Amino acid sequence: MSLRALWIISPEKGEHASIRFSRRFATVELRAKRLAGSSYVAVPEDDCFLQLLLTELGLSGSKKPFVVKRDDCLYRPRSPAVELHVTGAGKGTLWPVLAISQAPLILACLPLVDASPEQRPPLSSLLSVSQGLSFLAGLQTFLLAPGSKQDGEGLVSRLALLPSVLLQVCPLGTPLELPLSGTLATPSAPTSAGIQKQPAWRTGLHRGRAVVNVSVVETVRSMQYGNRSRQDLWDVYGTVACKCEVEGVLPNVTVTLSLPPNGSPLQDVLVHPCVTSLDSSVLTASSVDSCDGSAFSGPYKFPFSPPLEPFILCSYTSQVPVPPILGSYQLKDEESQLHVSVVLKLHESVKNSFEYCEAHLPFYNRDQMGVVDVKVSSGQLDVSKEKNLLVWALGQKFPKTREVTMEGKILFSGPAPGPSEPLCTGLTAYIKLYFKVPDTTLSGCSVDQHSVQVYSSAKPRIVTSRELHSKDYRIWNSTVPLE
Amino acid sequence: MASGWVERVSAFCGSPSRFLSGTSPEVFLAELLRELRDDRANYNVKVLLLSPLCEYPALLCPSDSVGEETALELMSIFAQSPLKFVHFRSQLLVALTCVLTCSPDASSRLRAFPDFLDLLLQLAQDTSDLHGDAAQRSLRATACDCLREMEALYPGLLSQRLELLGALRHQETSRLHQAYAGLQTLVLRNVVYLLTGEKEAGAAHLKALLGGNESVGWEADQNLGSASGKNTKPLSSVILTPMGTVPTLHTGPDCKELRSALSSLLEESYLFTPLSQAALLYRLTEVVAMVPAIPPTIFRAQLLRLLGTSEVSLLHTTLLMKSAFTDSLFSSEDEAFLLKRLVVFSQHPLLSTPEKLFYMDCILHFPENRPISCGDSDEALPVLLTPRLASALLPVVFNDSATLLARFNLLSLVYLEAGEEEDGRGLEYLYEHLTSLLRIVESGGKRESVVTFFRAVFLFLLHFHHVERYCDNLSQQLCQLYLQHTRFAPHLINLADQTQEKLPDSTWAFGLLKALQRVISQTPLSQVTLRDLSWHLKVLTRAAEEGGIPQHATLRFLSGVITPSLSSLTSSADWRLGNGILGVCRRLLVHPSLDSILIPLADVLQHLAGHYGDTDIRDHARLYYTLLTTLSREKLATVLAHHAEGGQQIKKRTLSCLMTEGEGLTSILTIHETEAAIFRLIETHCEQPEAKDLIQDETERGELETYRAQFGDPTFASQVTLKFLLTHTETRDARFDQLFSIRLHFSLTDDHYSELQDLSVPCLFRERPPPVVALALKPKEPHPTRLHVSAIFTTQDGLTWHTTLPDIHVCFQQIFLPLPAPLSWGQTGRQAVFAGLWEEISGETGECADSLFCCRLEEEALSALVEKHFLPFLVSDPAHKDQFRVLLFLPPQSHVLLKISSEEDAVHFNIATDRWQLLPHINDYLLKITAS
Repeated sequence: MSLRALWIISPEKGEHASIRFSRRFATVELRAKRLAGSSYVAVPEDDCFLQLLLTELGLSGSKKPFVVKRDDCLYRPRSPAVELHVTGAGKGTLWPVLAISQAPLILACLPLVDASPEQRPPLSSLLSVSQGLSFLAGLQTFLLAPGSKQDGEGLVSRLALLPSVLLQVCPLGTPLELPLSGTLATPSAPTSAGIQKQPAWRTGLHRGRAVVNVSVVETVRSMQYGNRSRQDLWDVYGTVACKCEVEGVLPNVTVTLSLPPNGSPLQDVLVHPCVTSLDSSVLTASSVDSCDGSAFSGPYKFPFSPPLEPFILCSYTSQVPVPPILGSYQLKDEESQLHVSVVLKLHESVKNSFEYCEAHLPFYNRDQMGVVDVKVSSGQLDVSKEKNLLVWALGQKFPKTREVTMEGKILFSGPAPGPSEPLCTGLTAYIKLYFKVPDTTLSGCSVDQHSVQVYSSAKPRIVTSRELHSKDYRIWNSTVPLE
Repeated sequence: MASGWVERVSAFCGSPSRFLSGTSPEVFLAELLRELRDDRANYNVKVLLLSPLCEYPALLCPSDSVGEETALELMSIFAQSPLKFVHFRSQLLVALTCVLTCSPDASSRLRAFPDFLDLLLQLAQDTSDLHGDAAQRSLRATACDCLREMEALYPGLLSQRLELLGALRHQETSRLHQAYAGLQTLVLRNVVYLLTGEKEAGAAHLKALLGGNESVGWEADQNLGSASGKNTKPLSSVILTPMGTVPTLHTGPDCKELRSALSSLLEESYLFTPLSQAALLYRLTEVVAMVPAIPPTIFRAQLLRLLGTSEVSLLHTTLLMKSAFTDSLFSSEDEAFLLKRLVVFSQHPLLSTPEKLFYMDCILHFPENRPISCGDSDEALPVLLTPRLASALLPVVFNDSATLLARFNLLSLVYLEAGEEEDGRGLEYLYEHLTSLLRIVESGGKRESVVTFFRAVFLFLLHFHHVERYCDNLSQQLCQLYLQHTRFAPHLINLADQTQEKLPDSTWAFGLLKALQRVISQTPLSQVTLRDLSWHLKVLTRAAEEGGIPQHATLRFLSGVITPSLSSLTSSADWRLGNGILGVCRRLLVHPSLDSILIPLADVLQHLAGHYGDTDIRDHARLYYTLLTTLSREKLATVLAHHAEGGQQIKKRTLSCLMTEGEGLTSILTIHETEAAIFRLIETHCEQPEAKDLIQDETERGELETYRAQFGDPTFASQVTLKFLLTHTETRDARFDQLFSIRLHFSLTDDHYSELQDLSVPCLFRERPPPVVALALKPKEPHPTRLHVSAIFTTQDGLTWHTTLPDIHVCFQQIFLPLPAPLSWGQTGRQAVFAGLWEEISGETGECADSLFCCRLEEEALSALVEKHFLPFLVSDPAHKDQFRVLLFLPPQSHVLLKISSEEDAVHFNIATDRWQLLPHINDYLLKITAS
């Protein structure tokens, strides 16, 4: 449950990678040494570690087409735990090195293996691995939290805070908690010497007007092929985000999610650790299971004691019978021109009131667009500055027919070649939809303002909201079968 | 000043070895401690100064005595630091924990250890911050974590404080109760573990330690004392393997103290941060696993909350609980639910990729209630994972590489288990997926997608190499891919190599190479570019290694390539290209079907020998031709095959130098690394410098000037020569009994000396007397140092080796030289220089310093000491025993002057030097010689 060392790396495209921060935990290292005995492999110095890690992650020497150490076809699980082969004086295998990357950083750590050295235990039997993953993710959130300053500066100032943050959250290599994102955790105000124990994850006390904010955000993803041989796919997942400013050491709040009659049950429900108890029926529905019509479909009660900062109370997935926007995209080569035809239909069950709705039509592996002779039945069409993308802004509403079309021809006669993309060759192309619909959810899931219960003396103000937005919503050209 | 420290500390932590090459650990440690003691220094900087001690305590405190001193120093700094600098004080506790536990000898405890432990316990109990400054509370939290770490390092250390810790946790209402709980749980787990080793009294001891009965408690403490805290090895997890045996503590049904302690910890577990909660639950799982009297159902109440959690570490703890308790805590419905949950997690849109990959790993090592297989294989599918359930994890082209491969692997295992080889939809899907990847690679995918594609192909072959219809098709597709992108040749060769190695029974790789040979040889030469050709030759070379592949097509291709009327490819007469062609020919020379290709091969070689534009290639071709036409087939095979096996005979070297791209060549040309040190350098005493005081004095004035004038020549007295014997180490290895052409290379570990010349030793035989090696050191600063030594040498079989020798330690006294006075001088002249220098040093400040060292020595002992250590450096008359005058010269131009005299109470060593930095070394040296 402890970490031997921790690194924060700027990969900078492999060649100029540098270690921005590193920390070795000497006492944990000593434990590692005594546990492993003769098979102990010491943590190498930063430069050496960096090279080994980049090679293992396939990020080193980008100019060479094939390097056996890096590109060998032999499969070994590369992630989340890699093994590094230390050469030279302290040679041996360093395992399991956990690495998570999110631009512009790679975070890595080496958890302690508290097992006898004879046989390597499976990764899943080491609690230090999941702890390491959680901890790295927490550090990542802390370091990359959006700040008021420019991103680079924000990162520099947060890196500078890291030593003092680590002293609080992981002084000797055993992670105790995650750094509070955004701000440096300030010690809490002294609590009253009551009998109620303060939760370790609650950093202080709220004083003042009680406000509870609950918002349900649903995301819909889709892949539409318009092709009999290949089924269209879509899925919906939702998160319930809360911010609770409530007095008390361990206040009690209950949020209830409800579905409309005949709504399909919420599946794969995951809850925040501050939820105090759960009814087993809440957890039964699963997206990988055969759907049972008689399944529990709410109301879903979540009693919890909120932390001070905003948090995700729970998340779920849902199976909806149809995608909100059904599209058809057809491209044809006509004498050196490309004939484009698009139809988008908004399903009748979806509220026709968008915050925004845009369709993007990128074109890869071609020259820039020259003549664009395309008409749309609604909305506004723009050609991007780079001349490789059509942006169709549909505005706030679909017309009454709930159907919009685009038809026309494009001549790719621009002076320069556009971007390349290995997937979109020939007529393989897609439309990507970006939309957001306020005050609605596809699953029908909602939180009634009156169903939020707060057990406190003062009457709290309760705000609830819902919204739906798209992510990875693509409609593929149906004139060529996508392989 | 402060910014200088920031850079220095970060330079040290980034690469201690590089940093310390410019200084030494002692010096750096001394500087750190001095700055830490400095009241004027900024406390933020001081916090930073502690990080080298936290990260590399063993490097900075290499011995117990240094550790001891450093710890005492830090404790006094702690005692003196103002309370308001909580951050600094906390970091200081962390540093102390690191320093006090870093001792190289695991069993030794530094003397400051108990004091520090008391300090920590005192801080942990100090609840005076209750209504006061909350910042002070974080010091208490750090103290708790230091105690936890010490208990982890020395299991049982705090066993007698178990009751106290329970009480502290109980009282605490601030967030700090988590720190006490973490500490208490670890101590409890360690106590239970240690007691499992005690046959009879275990249960009673446990009861006593938990505070059940005070009088027994006292007794128990005494007993446990022998077993607890003396452990030098941290405990490994007790429930790591489902099949492993867990040590048990038989308490009988009555263990209500333990039960109540567990219940109260579990009840409060909800209040802990997920990370601490997971650790706590895991420790408690271990405890319950070791005490059969406590039913695992004690965890029941927490289970539902844990099963629904979004936290990876909490769900993981639940899985580990399942692994420990199987069906005594988890019903079969729970099991099915958990597995489904894992499948959901493995592809959940809200989880991060590393988390999803981790969950996939958990599926492959799912702790089943009733596992069928005996956990021998690395990855085993749970019985409940059906193809239907797993279909949620089908790989798609939009997956990132790691996810894609993990899914591909998992699904392959699932379909293999389900016996889908014949007409399964699943297998078809996987193959289609492979084809999609191939299309992407074909249309110019990036390096990462190429690598991923070949890994996916390898996985497919690994699991389904016996399903011919797919594998044959795959070969064809790969050939097509190769023709479009010949740069994939190394990937394909690597794929062939790996499949051949991992699947020795499969002929797939053979088929692929054969197909590649065919498509290459059928390509019209007019379409082959130079770049393609070099890849083609690599592939053909690999194909020629397969004895079963007929090579006519290859030869046709080669002869086409070199015939000017058919292709202009060889008109450039490029050496590399010629070498590539010869590489193929070399393989063909040893090919089993040589008889049938003899004539075309001879033609190719003859043509190359006569017409190729590069002389070297012509020569090589001629050699091959001669070998082919004059040697019998058997001889040729022996000579070349032997050669291919890798060098063991001297003869081969001459041959392999002539062979292109021979495997043996690599072995001969490569420098091999020895496993252990083969030989070492042992210091030998150099002959004493001659006494030269026979010549008559010319008592001129200005001896000092005359003396100084000699240094006008920069090489004058600038080096110290050390002599060593080069001898074998004890490790006997017959290969290394006779060594030749040994070249010793010395590298410096600091900046105090000039770079050293390599030394050559003609030979070293184990049975002969060891050769003497003279090493000339040229100091820039006369400090003790350490030298890394490595050597390159040749063994009898003609191989070249590189080895590392043990470091050479150059002690301070080894750099002493007698006063380099002009040869003509006698004693008087030297005495004059001594007097002159002494006067100068006493009068000056700057670099000069004087000092006094005292010790108790009998007069005789003193004479003996002077005789033994200082005779060559003695300036005064040895017979003159009331005051010895010693002048140590240290190149390049430093002096240490000693006036040694017996006073009433002690012997006084009056020291004067023109280089104050030498004082600590002198002091150490005097301490050493007077102590013995």
